[in-house]
Amino acid sequence: MILPEFEYKKPKVIKKALQLFQANRGDAVYLSGGTDLVPRIKQRLEKPSIVIDLKNISSLNKIELSRSWLKIGANVTIYELKNHPFVKDNLPALADSLEATACETIQMRGTIGGNVLQNTRCLFYNKSDEWRKAKGYCLKMGGQVCNAVKGAKMCFANYTSDNAPALITLETQVRLSGVDGSRQIPLAAIFSGKSDRPFTLQPGEILTHIFIPANKTRGCYLKIRVRDSIDYPLVGAAASLKNGNGCLAIGGIGAKPLHFDFDETEDGWGERIAREAASHVTPVANTVLSPTYRKKMVYVLVKRIVRKLSGEGC
Amino acid sequence: MTLSEKIGLRATITQGGLMENHKVIGQRVVRSDYLAKVTGQACYSADLKLPGMLVAKVLRSPYAHARILAIDVSPALKIPGVKAAVSGQDGYGVKWGVFRYTQDHDMLPTDKVRYVGEDVAAVAAIDEETALEALHAIKVEYEPLPAVFDPVAAMAPDAPQIHDAYPGNINVHVHIDVGDVESAFRESFIVREDTFRAAGEAYAMMEPYAVVAHYNSGYLDFWMPNAGPHVRAKALSNLLQIPLNRVRVRHIFSGGAFGGRSEVAPGDFITALLSMKSGKPVKLVLSREENAISSRQVHDIVATIKTGVKQDGTILAKEFKAIYNGGAYSSTGPIAASIPYYVYEEAYRFPNVKYDGYRVYTNKGIRGMYGCHGRAFLAGNEVQLDMIAKDLGIDPMDIRIKNGLTLGEKTATKSWITSGNLAEPTQKAAEKAGWSSKRGKLPKNKGIGMGCVAIMTGFPMGFRSSSSCYVKLNDDGHATVVTGIVDNGQGNDSMAVQIASEILGLPMEDINLVSADTEVTNLDPGAYSQAATFAGGNAVKKACEHARNQILALASEKLNEAVEDLDLQNKMVICRKNPEKKMPISWITREAFFRAKPIAGIGSYIPKIDFDREWISKPFGQMAGTYSFGTSVAEVEIDEETGKITMPHFVTAHDCGKAINPMAVEGQMEGSVQQAGVAAITEGNLWDEGFLLNPDLLEYKVPLACDMPDIETIIVESNDPEGPFGAKEGGLTVRMNAYSAVACAVSNALGVQFSELPLTPDRILEMIEKKGGDK
Repeated sequence: MILPEFEYKKPKVIKKALQLFQANRGDAVYLSGGTDLVPRIKQRLEKPSIVIDLKNISSLNKIELSRSWLKIGANVTIYELKNHPFVKDNLPALADSLEATACETIQMRGTIGGNVLQNTRCLFYNKSDEWRKAKGYCLKMGGQVCNAVKGAKMCFANYTSDNAPALITLETQVRLSGVDGSRQIPLAAIFSGKSDRPFTLQPGEILTHIFIPANKTRGCYLKIRVRDSIDYPLVGAAASLKNGNGCLAIGGIGAKPLHFDFDETEDGWGERIAREAASHVTPVANTVLSPTYRKKMVYVLVKRIVRKLSGEGC
Repeated sequence: MTLSEKIGLRATITQGGLMENHKVIGQRVVRSDYLAKVTGQACYSADLKLPGMLVAKVLRSPYAHARILAIDVSPALKIPGVKAAVSGQDGYGVKWGVFRYTQDHDMLPTDKVRYVGEDVAAVAAIDEETALEALHAIKVEYEPLPAVFDPVAAMAPDAPQIHDAYPGNINVHVHIDVGDVESAFRESFIVREDTFRAAGEAYAMMEPYAVVAHYNSGYLDFWMPNAGPHVRAKALSNLLQIPLNRVRVRHIFSGGAFGGRSEVAPGDFITALLSMKSGKPVKLVLSREENAISSRQVHDIVATIKTGVKQDGTILAKEFKAIYNGGAYSSTGPIAASIPYYVYEEAYRFPNVKYDGYRVYTNKGIRGMYGCHGRAFLAGNEVQLDMIAKDLGIDPMDIRIKNGLTLGEKTATKSWITSGNLAEPTQKAAEKAGWSSKRGKLPKNKGIGMGCVAIMTGFPMGFRSSSSCYVKLNDDGHATVVTGIVDNGQGNDSMAVQIASEILGLPMEDINLVSADTEVTNLDPGAYSQAATFAGGNAVKKACEHARNQILALASEKLNEAVEDLDLQNKMVICRKNPEKKMPISWITREAFFRAKPIAGIGSYIPKIDFDREWISKPFGQMAGTYSFGTSVAEVEIDEETGKITMPHFVTAHDCGKAINPMAVEGQMEGSVQQAGVAAITEGNLWDEGFLLNPDLLEYKVPLACDMPDIETIIVESNDPEGPFGAKEGGLTVRMNAYSAVACAVSNALGVQFSELPLTPDRILEMIEKKGGDK
């Protein structure tokens, strides 16, 4: 499959990138590592007339540690981030999720910003235009009904970032820059909850930085996949704990990571959040493993995380 | 002398031993193709660039089953840059089929489309963008028809008919009946019947299909990854109505075949038509998705297996019913519907057996032969044997050895075993794996399992079973070997060079191989049915011996020594008794040119097969030149909460007769553990009716290098009396027993029999739950 023709720009500053986007509204996409975007363009899931490459914007390439935050530029690669000493020593959930992302060669190309903003996926959606046309366009492609859940008027594509759930458990915030200036919001707030249009970002807004509170945490990330060497999560579960207060997040099922707060001192907290998390997910038959199984695995993974956090091992 | 007497004689020779002191054979040599591959110099079909070459794109069917009412390619021709457009109306009305009775495949159909992704029309343009645009301009009018996807549903009386000539959608029915199965079951101590299923696999060759066709002055040149250029050329000659010597399939590096590139492909036919129409070379490269959807892939299988045994574990009878989802066309139909059975009867003694194999048409993509073909059938048999052994209190290894065939015996359908036996690889693999200290003694959720099989080396392909070789000695004393042998990555080219090196006393780098070019090389079965070393290698050996004799005769005269006292070593003719007395081979070759009798050897070989044997009408007689035996032992550990299988250790023993290059044999064995064994956990095609849901390498889970278990390979050498230097084939048993070992290990770990492959974690949890329910 070849890439269609498009204009390619590589601005050096955010302002220029925003201007380029505004001048080509509806036809422009931002590119960073490209590991998610380029296959999407090849499959004609995106049809940009202009691709704005953000890799030359040097302010997005740095990791900075201050007293209160670990500030990560959106262009920082998964590989760079997983090898950062602060992440290794203090943010075990994120260290795990970065390690579990794709494979090492892709980690060296893919960026943390792109990983968080990756589009939702479905067996019936991530296909060539010819395949999708033959099948009949689904809701996410502008059709009338879902192809995975026959006749459904709702999209069930899965958000499959390994890292977003881990970041959510760490109370991560993101900075977004747009034509009207920049804003900083919790990471969890960028999700619309709708699989067909998963993000709340304004058109043209750029996720520039990720801010993680600079605290020492306990935690971990576990995922279910068929192939260990390289696979998106079929279920992902992350938890982080600081001073007895914890957050659990579930990814890989549905439009966005679901998250649940817990208090380590509460009696039976582990069983409670495991049940709660499993009861809130609604997997459907749109991945290579059965939905019943994936729902069960939410409970299993959470219980494992709980055991690990309680010092019992996975 | 009867065949059995001949075979008996040969068997005696084997037992007497054939060991010789080889210089190159049996050495871990660097393969002759490696330099080109590791430096990126190797050129594959998609790399080719010819002057004026056009790009082809194919319009594919969006329907699983539809009548074609009209096709109009003319609007495409109006687009600037489009040089040719074709549909079935441009063909010659000849259908392809491997057998006369399976000729059902119009490479570009005119009546109906029968699967989503079927080739309907095509264009050739100056670039890919223009070609894609032109596809959209082609107008096809369809009348959708009811479709059927499940083979059992397809056999029902009211099912949609996919081909008029095949009622009930039964493409092929293979029926084998030996002895008296019913009486044997009545006499059996235990009779057990089970049904097993497996999803079909993707070949997932790293190189998606690509072809370049160039029609020039009535001659047609082709380059494409293929496992048999001569077979391919004949098919194209028929389809295009061009004499065979005007269709030239040329040598090109190939990125894998695994059984899937032996037959002519629609793309070959399409690019040929486009090149004939445009007068330009035309290249077609399939995307990964197109490759999965439109090229032949692997059968889904349902196998029902009934086994009767005596109290001591002796198998008395087997009754099989296997249903193969064949997709829209026949492909290798009768072969595909037979092979799983044969590789099993070649391993075990069945005094009474009945096999019914049905290959059924459905509205899915065409299913073909695969190196790992038949996993539901083979793994099912092996797991069932374990269950029977358990009931009888017999070790699963012992029941296999007890029923395993050995030298001098005949298979149920009357093929002689002329070298090797099942016991040796089984015992060796078991010993290395620590079988006796592990089986039945491992902790909960850990298991060990064994899979056995035996494989035919070369099966009947009529006169195409034979291979020929020509070798010439050049004036510098180097040699050129010309053979139809094909290398799809397994090392066949290097094997031919190594054999020539041994016989001619030349280093491998002094030998140039010209291979797999139909206008230069002679008819050859290709890298199909494990024939390359056995048939092709034998022909190379004979041709080189022929040349060697010519060199020795001349040298005898020059050195004044008897021929039998001379040897060829390291580019020299040497007197064995007096190594100081020697002469460069190049002097001999020059002398030969002076005498106008250049050193040139020819040699041919055809396996001793019963050529009256036929897959359906006469499934009895000597099936192949010889058989290789193999046993794999897998160890698994199962996470009972997630159903995840890990495989810490895998041992596999393969009787290759003689390892010409042990490193190449080990490579084949290790790759096979991955392709069959690890794949038993991860790989399977997923469908939504006629739509393949995982036509990509992300969702179709080919395991990567880091997913491999620790593998120990054991080469068993039974020194086949017919094989070149005793060689048979280089590792296919592992491709057809590794999944059995895994399925048996998993069933052992859980104490419950598997029923469906692949063994994905959701299925494992179902097995665990089923066991809980059984208690």
